[in-house]
Amino acid sequence: MGQIEYDTAVIGAGLMGASTALFLARSGMRCVLLDRSGVCSEASGVNAGTLTMQMTRADLIPYAIKGWEMWTNSQEWLGFNPGVVAAPGLSLAFTEEEVATLEHRAAARRARGAQIELLTASKARSIEPGLSTEVIAASYCPMDGFAKANQTGFALHQALKTARVDIHGACRVERVEPEDRGYAVIGRGEVVRARRLVLAGGVWLEEMLNWLAVRIPIKTLVNQLAVTERIEPVMRTVIGIASGLLSLKQFDNGTVVIGGGWQGKGSRTTGSTQVIPENLIGNVRLAVHAIPHLVHTRLVRAWCGFEAETADAMPVIGEVPGINNAFLIGSIHSGYTSGPFMAKLLAQYILGHEPELPLFDPSRLVDNESYLKNDVN
Amino acid sequence: MNSRVELAVLGAGPAGVAAALAASECNVSVLILDRSASAGGQVYRRPTGPLGAQQLKKWPDEVKGERLREQLRSSAVSCRFERAVWSVERGFRIDTVGPAGVETWEAERLLVASGTTERVIPFPGWTLPGVMGLAAATALLKSQRVLPGQRPVVAGSGPLLWAVASGIVAGGGMPAAVIDLADTRRWVSSLPALFSRPTDLLKGLGWMHSIRRKQVPVISSAAVRKVWREGASLVVEVVERNRDGTLRREGQERRLSADALCIGHGLLPAIEVTRLLGADHVFDAQAGGWKPVIDDQQRTSIPGLFAAGDCTGITGAEAAQLEGRLAGLTVAHEAGRITDKLYRMKAQSLRRHNLRVSRVGASMAALMMPAESFIDDIPGDTVVCRCEDVTCAEVQAALAAGAMGLNQIKSWTRCGMGPCQGRVCGDTVAAIASRHLGGRTAVGAWSPRVPLVPLPMDDFVGAFTYHDIAIPKAAPL
Amino acid sequence: MHRGLVDEDEVVIEVDDHTVSGRRGDSVAVALLTAGISTLRHSPRLGAPRGIFCFMGSCQECLVVINGKRQLACEVLIEAGMSVRTTELP
Repeated sequence: MGQIEYDTAVIGAGLMGASTALFLARSGMRCVLLDRSGVCSEASGVNAGTLTMQMTRADLIPYAIKGWEMWTNSQEWLGFNPGVVAAPGLSLAFTEEEVATLEHRAAARRARGAQIELLTASKARSIEPGLSTEVIAASYCPMDGFAKANQTGFALHQALKTARVDIHGACRVERVEPEDRGYAVIGRGEVVRARRLVLAGGVWLEEMLNWLAVRIPIKTLVNQLAVTERIEPVMRTVIGIASGLLSLKQFDNGTVVIGGGWQGKGSRTTGSTQVIPENLIGNVRLAVHAIPHLVHTRLVRAWCGFEAETADAMPVIGEVPGINNAFLIGSIHSGYTSGPFMAKLLAQYILGHEPELPLFDPSRLVDNESYLKNDVN
Repeated sequence: MNSRVELAVLGAGPAGVAAALAASECNVSVLILDRSASAGGQVYRRPTGPLGAQQLKKWPDEVKGERLREQLRSSAVSCRFERAVWSVERGFRIDTVGPAGVETWEAERLLVASGTTERVIPFPGWTLPGVMGLAAATALLKSQRVLPGQRPVVAGSGPLLWAVASGIVAGGGMPAAVIDLADTRRWVSSLPALFSRPTDLLKGLGWMHSIRRKQVPVISSAAVRKVWREGASLVVEVVERNRDGTLRREGQERRLSADALCIGHGLLPAIEVTRLLGADHVFDAQAGGWKPVIDDQQRTSIPGLFAAGDCTGITGAEAAQLEGRLAGLTVAHEAGRITDKLYRMKAQSLRRHNLRVSRVGASMAALMMPAESFIDDIPGDTVVCRCEDVTCAEVQAALAAGAMGLNQIKSWTRCGMGPCQGRVCGDTVAAIASRHLGGRTAVGAWSPRVPLVPLPMDDFVGAFTYHDIAIPKAAPL
Repeated sequence: MHRGLVDEDEVVIEVDDHTVSGRRGDSVAVALLTAGISTLRHSPRLGAPRGIFCFMGSCQECLVVINGKRQLACEVLIEAGMSVRTTELP
């Protein structure tokens, strides 16, 4: 049996995995981070980067608030600038029905600690002059904003190197094997040994759990995004709508990112994705409807990113059920906002401390048949 | 909804038109799409204005172009011009944007005949107004019948250099100098291929002769080191290369005053569509770089997807027509419109003809190719991504920080994120990265993205009301 | 650049705050070029002057505002009374 080289092997170098590895390393653990591509090269690298209370599930608001605080103080935990902009968020209503939806959504989130209030159309327009005249009301949250996903990837990469995490990019892990004192992580042409595992595989978490004979079904969402070319400032807030299917923000370089959860086509098995033209048109129409001046620019790029969703649409963070020294983190809706905080919680738990806020017990989602058959460790 | 055709052709240049005509002649239903207002591609680009008294003479290619457009007009091919293809899906579905807004087309088979874009390797001052591509200068001369400048410096290698320089002379301009960026020895090695096509050789010699006769200074084995503005003029600094390819040191340069600089470093196959559809590609430096893998029937690795012309490797207009014709006949044969025997006979004849023709075309292409080392001459503070103002030093810093390939460089520097969608900077950035990462395959290629061209938002969204928008079900509360 | 234009071939357009005379069939890019206007816009980060480069709709450098809409000068033919604004973009 080979030597255990690492305290922890984190498999998956997206936002969750990379942040977890970073916190563990900063607390003194010898960590290795493996990914079939690079740091934040998959979904985390093509994310819209929205930091939002209004699009976060009500139950996750306390986590999102903590996450937002971390992002807007990124020098503290990241040390490198991920290009975060704190900006207020406006969620728009164009019909009376939508106003009712906004009120309902705002109340649910206020109950969990978010500061969200309803504004009249004219008040909303005083904050965001570029809004369409068809807006009849908006919900407002001062605690919104965005990070730049690609810049965050670079910042994380630098922070990991500084924290002496060994990054194994272009390393596709094929399986893990429990050994005497830990795990062998086996990729093509390389084996790495660690005392404990963290599975942070995004939409591939289900396949990773299968390595340990644990079954948690994970659904793959294929989120479409698009970006315009540079345009003079046309908006200064983060914009959404009552139905939730618009997310709009303008970066300091003048480009506007358009998203909100419209679906493309894709397969996590092949990794390939495809934009659905009708859905791109629908998403962009919503954007132009909200900020009419967008009609004067050009759309330069569109793409898809995978998002993982569990059966109850809540995160899985904690121990791999029935397995010693193996942990998992993922399936966090609006995970960009709360991501670093969720990773911090898991790191606290792994290090033997009480996490600041409760984790999300993965065993609730295990397919019972395979759980009972589980005789590993 | 437009009806499904048996063959859609993307690109109405020589390859695309030849394919469309060949298939259509055999009663295959064909649609041809091009973003220009008329057929001809770049090499047979239609002049858009009248031939006035003071205007430049007709180029020989103009006659060929007119014939091509006439043949297309009198055929049964359905032509839709001024349509920019922004998305393609297997099956095949083609989405365009144009004067009629967004449109969707369907075809059983697809032929990509998208031609090339020009490669220009960056140098200090290359982004100044007045500096343009060599192919750009050709287009100005041919289709707009204007000089790129009254007294331009013309730089490049291979036949295009001489065609442009002599075209300027014929138009009443006087090049300040002709700079041959290639090693003159490379001309010699291509002579055997040129001899097999005496008319090409004569044409080339004729161009060179017209330049020499006007006593235009010709500097060979040289590089444009930098360009800057002085008053209303450009100053072009030219330096010759040593035998080992390195640039001669300071103090050995020449400075030329000019009103424009036309410079090109070869052509690149335009492979955005074949990449988007997931076809296999291979890197072939002599053919222009990455090109789709095709068999001897012009098929790519994707069923129903064909490719022909310079987008499959630079071999010139004549080869493009032969390849296009072969692709069109293959489709006709597949659709049962011609017999096995007839197809085999015609295909064989086309291939034999193409073998001769493309040998010359390929040599010409090879002459235009820059040496690998040109990349090393780019100073750190020179912009390599024009759209985003990203410098060579920033790209190298990303590589030094651990960027693993082209897409991570894009993510970390913004190279390739601008409206040109990586067309201008892609080859340069890949070449720089190749130095660090050990080869073009390791570097990878841009992740394919739609829209294939920047989409004007107004045309894209069209006229709509809020209630028209089919908003899908939102995520749970 | 003298072009010996015949009346019916001449097309007059507005460029920024003055008029420019071009020839029927000219692209906006060519009309500007022959009128001596070579700076069409400025680059986004460095604010460097930019003009025609590829002349085939690929490089996006010749982006100007034509009749209120962002378009590539090399792809649009001039029409009488057209309004062109340069150096307003990125």
